Amino acid sequence: MLREKYENEVWAYVLDDRSKKVIPLNHWEILFGRSKSCDVVINDPSADRVQGVLSRSESGAWTLHGIFTKSNVSVNGRVCGENGMSVHTGDVIGIGRKKVVFEDIPASKRAELDSRREAAGYAIGPGLTLLGLTVFQAFLMLEQTANAAPENIRSIALGYSALALLEWFCYAIMRSVGRTGFEVETLAFFLSTIGLSVVASSAPEDILKEILLLIAGIALFFLLGWWLRDLERTKKYRFAVAALSLILLVLNLALSTVTNGARNWIEIGGFSIQPSELIKVAYIYVGAATLDRLFSTKNLIRYIIFSAICVMGLAIMGDFGTALIFFATFLVISYMRSGSIATVALALTGAGMAGFMVLSIRPYVAQRFANWGHVWEDVYGTGYQQTRTMSAAAAGGLFGKGAGNGWLKDIFAANTDMVFGVICEELGLLIALLAILAVLVLAFFAVRSAAHGRSSYYVIAACATGSMLLIQLSLNVFGSMDILPFTGVTFPFVSKGGTSLLSCWMLLAFIKAADTRRGASFVVRSASRGSDSDAEGGEEAS
Amino acid sequence: MRKVTKRAVAALLVAVLVIFGCCVYIYRYLKDGAFWAGYFGNENITSTSILTDRNGTVLATISSGEISYADSSTMREACYQLLGDGTGNISTGALSCFSGRLSGFSYIFGTTRPKDTSLELTVDADLQVTAYEAMGSQNGAVIACNYKTGEILCTVSTPAQDPLYPSDEPEEGTYLNKGISSTLTPGSTFKLVTLSAALETVPNIYSEEFTCEGSTVINGVEINCTGEHGTEDIYDALANSCNVAFAEITQEVGSDALSSYVDKLGFTSSHDINGIPTAAGSFVKADDGTADLSWSGIGQYQDLVCPFSELRLVSAIANHGRLAEPTLLVRSLNVQETQLLKASTADAMKKFMRNNVESVYGDSTFPGLTMCGKTGTAEVGDGDNHSWFTGFLDDEEHPYAIVVVVEHGGYGLSNAGAIANTVLQEAVANGD
Repeated sequence: MLREKYENEVWAYVLDDRSKKVIPLNHWEILFGRSKSCDVVINDPSADRVQGVLSRSESGAWTLHGIFTKSNVSVNGRVCGENGMSVHTGDVIGIGRKKVVFEDIPASKRAELDSRREAAGYAIGPGLTLLGLTVFQAFLMLEQTANAAPENIRSIALGYSALALLEWFCYAIMRSVGRTGFEVETLAFFLSTIGLSVVASSAPEDILKEILLLIAGIALFFLLGWWLRDLERTKKYRFAVAALSLILLVLNLALSTVTNGARNWIEIGGFSIQPSELIKVAYIYVGAATLDRLFSTKNLIRYIIFSAICVMGLAIMGDFGTALIFFATFLVISYMRSGSIATVALALTGAGMAGFMVLSIRPYVAQRFANWGHVWEDVYGTGYQQTRTMSAAAAGGLFGKGAGNGWLKDIFAANTDMVFGVICEELGLLIALLAILAVLVLAFFAVRSAAHGRSSYYVIAACATGSMLLIQLSLNVFGSMDILPFTGVTFPFVSKGGTSLLSCWMLLAFIKAADTRRGASFVVRSASRGSDSDAEGGEEAS
Repeated sequence: MRKVTKRAVAALLVAVLVIFGCCVYIYRYLKDGAFWAGYFGNENITSTSILTDRNGTVLATISSGEISYADSSTMREACYQLLGDGTGNISTGALSCFSGRLSGFSYIFGTTRPKDTSLELTVDADLQVTAYEAMGSQNGAVIACNYKTGEILCTVSTPAQDPLYPSDEPEEGTYLNKGISSTLTPGSTFKLVTLSAALETVPNIYSEEFTCEGSTVINGVEINCTGEHGTEDIYDALANSCNVAFAEITQEVGSDALSSYVDKLGFTSSHDINGIPTAAGSFVKADDGTADLSWSGIGQYQDLVCPFSELRLVSAIANHGRLAEPTLLVRSLNVQETQLLKASTADAMKKFMRNNVESVYGDSTFPGLTMCGKTGTAEVGDGDNHSWFTGFLDDEEHPYAIVVVVEHGGYGLSNAGAIANTVLQEAVANGD
């Protein structure tokens, strides 16, 4: 999916008055200015480095926003401020003393242009890769049932069958709405398969629960995906989402009980929920922004305050691992928003001091740092989990001992914090590395999509999601292998744990939203259609 | 937009870190995987693995994480440092170092041990006991090998203890296999190094004559000798272990050449016995013309040597300069060979060492053996001298090399030499 040809969408043109050069507009948000990194570069000393943002709304209307600088942006000679002015075909946009003519593309013409682009899934049919995955699942099921206790065989077989059905059902839905891109989902299903295998060996009684959670996660994936289709709606609810997540955070602090040194669980009617996992999704939802907002300092400061509250809240809960994930994601988002290394450096310094405080206040976190790199010196104490993970992982070799044949699965937290060890032991190092590769590919895909994103909101959200998944993965894998301090976070899609699985599937919707290949993603409306006539998709989530 | 899409690279930075982390993991897996797998692997696999000596005598049995040892308490003590005690007190012990092999570990298939396994060591358990008893209550080490195959026949270190009844506060040095993990002042055994260098770098060494009047003065500092040896050639000088002669020879070799030979012969580096690292000795280069340089060529000054390095040198001399690297595992693939010395130098050195026994130590000291050897009586600051003997049998049937060191054991020949004789007599009788 990374090798597939990726072609730009064209949304409108601007015509340079003097040179008669036509510049196609490939995104929904276009930055004008003298700087080389602008989408439309204005070679005129009277223009500022960054001068104005031209953005297209869902309905196809274009608006020009001026960015407060020493020189002005104008439409047909009238000065344009931060609130924006609408732009139509034939309007003259003035930037400094330079003038360009705007020309929109009507819906019919765009349909023609779009049909010339290559459709997703052209190189390798996504159905074929899914078939491959199904064969893998069948093998795994046979192996696992052969190794399982007789009373669990039925539920294990049912679990794998349900998973296979589920992925083909999703595939059928995508095809029925004319969407051909299924690579992202296939990767997630591959990781879920490994997760199911781990659950089947470590806690076969929970297989049904895991499948139900998976269904819920996929439903939420469709729901969030459908929600993200409408950028206006998405933007409008950013404040609500931020407020909601802060309420969740407070609730968590108030209601939770301390488990294993961290207070990150709340019990509701027999289900334990980890609110911090849901806040992860909200965090990216709130953190991404459209281009016209990026240059507003007020916006950035609000986001920094929101981040600080989240990270502090998690630190108070003692959920140091998740706090770290939030912070690292914050660095990525804030760099993508501001492009300023200085901001990131400042944030790092602040966090360094805060981290030092956490370490000195919370002895159990400090202890995890203290024994980092020395786990073999205390195999029955502080190094208990890491040494067992490493020992079991090495015992598996490249091909593993077979699903259900390990010994690590019987150790506490084996299917969450130490899950990488279980994969290595039972399925082998090769499959374990493939699982890491799957997450890497998700992140690479997000970055690749970025160059063709319609709105910076989707681009930032997708890249931040990719980074967040990778950071979480590193803390899980390298923490249990004593390459990083052990923080006890989950392996995306693989670790057992309800809320984590839900949040991973929801995060996937962000990556899906950046996939602008023709007819690839259900989250992205077809370029060829007028926005109002686009009624397909989305409903199946309910 | 272009601004934002360019910054998407930040996400790639995280990906690079993940890939880097994976590489670190794979590197560590290749380096320590066997150790990791064996550590808890033995606890979690119910089959039994057995560690035996070269004749099939059981040294240790591991079953469900429990270790049992030989029946005889003397044998348990004699093999204490060789095996370790299963708790990691002795880092070079076979039980911990070969735990991966005991659990049937391979990098490709991990631990695959459906059935019971056994691992055969090259040592002879009876020879271990002989050496241990010969040491008596003295502290030190005995290490012997077959210089044609490199198989280590015995490695005993004292003080030792019974792994079944470990002391809470054992005597100092109990947790150390001194033959491979300690460095000591070598005394006159180091003259073999100086002589090897002299044979190759001093052109007229065979025609030189030395006069010993009990002491000599180098750069204003007196160097004393063990006796008045009168006029000697190079053969007499080594056989008499004459400090006066070697003080002069060292000066002729010079600081640079001596130091480079010490390095070349492997005295200052750590070696590897089937993954077990040995201690690296140290040699401080003194200035040319100084008494310190002379003392360093006599095995005093700041010289520190690991007995294992001495074993490598005498093994190489015995085998025409071609060293069969010592090993503890019978099924190690091929004999790994190192050309430590020129064949001509090695053969010449053998003549020197044979001459030592014939003319000074006496063949009657080693009845029935064709011994080639060199003694050492190393002056140490605290207490009596260390007693050393390094040597080998010039015998195709019984190609054994040995190094014995007795801490504060006094004169080299009478103490360490006698132990070497006892051990090698037994080895020849057993036909190892």
